[in-house]
Amino acid sequence: MKTMMKGLLIVLAVAALPLGASAQQLFDFNGQAMMPSTAGGVLTMYSVMYDPAPIDSPIPLDFASYEFTLVVDGVTLVSDGISRVFSGGTVTIYQDAGTAADYTNPATFTDGTAILVGNFTSLSQFVPPFGPGSVSGYLDWVGGARLNDMAPEDQLHWAFLSGTSTTSGTLLPGYDEVWDGKTEPPSTIVDTEAASMGSIKALFR
Amino acid sequence: MKHSLGPQILLGALLVLLAALPVYAQVYTVDYLGYGWEKAAGPLKAAGDELIITSVADGIDPAFGVDLTTEEVTLHIYGLISDGPVDAGGYTIINFTGGYMDIYEDPAMNADWGINPPNATSPGTFTEGSLFFRGAFTSFTMYFDASGAYGSFEGNLDGISGSIINEYCTNCVYTWGGAFTLDAGAQIPEGYWIQVDGTFEIDSAVDTETASWGSVKALFK
Repeated sequence: MKTMMKGLLIVLAVAALPLGASAQQLFDFNGQAMMPSTAGGVLTMYSVMYDPAPIDSPIPLDFASYEFTLVVDGVTLVSDGISRVFSGGTVTIYQDAGTAADYTNPATFTDGTAILVGNFTSLSQFVPPFGPGSVSGYLDWVGGARLNDMAPEDQLHWAFLSGTSTTSGTLLPGYDEVWDGKTEPPSTIVDTEAASMGSIKALFR
Repeated sequence: MKHSLGPQILLGALLVLLAALPVYAQVYTVDYLGYGWEKAAGPLKAAGDELIITSVADGIDPAFGVDLTTEEVTLHIYGLISDGPVDAGGYTIINFTGGYMDIYEDPAMNADWGINPPNATSPGTFTEGSLFFRGAFTSFTMYFDASGAYGSFEGNLDGISGSIINEYCTNCVYTWGGAFTLDAGAQIPEGYWIQVDGTFEIDSAVDTETASWGSVKALFK
């Protein structure tokens, strides 16, 4: 009976945690990619992130004061075809209040503070003969100035999803594909709040 | 002696003419995120099913003068009727017939997908405000990867009405495309079928001008 009561208390305490208005969370980006032409080549993608409101960012980002860029680098093409398979590579999110991102100068995407650094655990691209393509993969966040804003279990197995287009009117010279996508945690990340057992018990008195 | 235009001179003249055409192509974009569902009983994607999507813009071309911090831009796609899945040899495509896309500007900033659509807020909170654009689909196709878990889509529209019609270009080409996810790690509210992420593009076509062959030749006299 005592164990059951303890369990009930924990369930009630968790249920009482404040949640945002939106249950979905993601980092949204829109960018330009340079694609490898043969197996063994490396994919690089530079993008600018948007405030996904009314969907929440997984960790709060101050879009009013900073520019956030998301950069994919070091991803190696393993096999080509309708389904392209990649290996390795990193995703880095930068926060910068200085230089505005400029696709003619990729260095403007990698300045500022690296707030999250992730490693791809898988990545593939579906490229039908007609129509746009799409990318699907997973990554683990392993570094960055704000890595610890997430609990360790929330840092793993994020989905990385994007549309890709070689025919978009927004494709810029020097790039091969427009990427429009997001990365999102496997489940909603909630704020944690330190509390003594006594204060939790007091909630139910 | 009467001179005629030989093939080489003609080709040269045409090349010069093409090079002289003014290129005014300008692309305006609306970037969006959202979720879709099917309005039909039975197997998903079956022929006759209607696809409905509600989404919110999180990026918009500054040329439109919309401030997304004070008003939201919502998209409502409806009336797309599935022709049924077709095996394209390792992947699946579905063509759709009909369908409309409405885009609204709304200072209420209350878009809410909720769960199990249609519901009290979706599509209702996505169809409020002033009409920014209404278009009728002339084509729409979904491309599913071999696993069926994710893919891409693309459609073309004829512009019908809305505040931006004829304001930013003539002979506009309207394209709506992006990626969708069913079960590849995306967070999808209960009762929705897919998450979508993409761009609505408005391309101003290069203007053309009808001219007689005589008037074209006269340019090179």
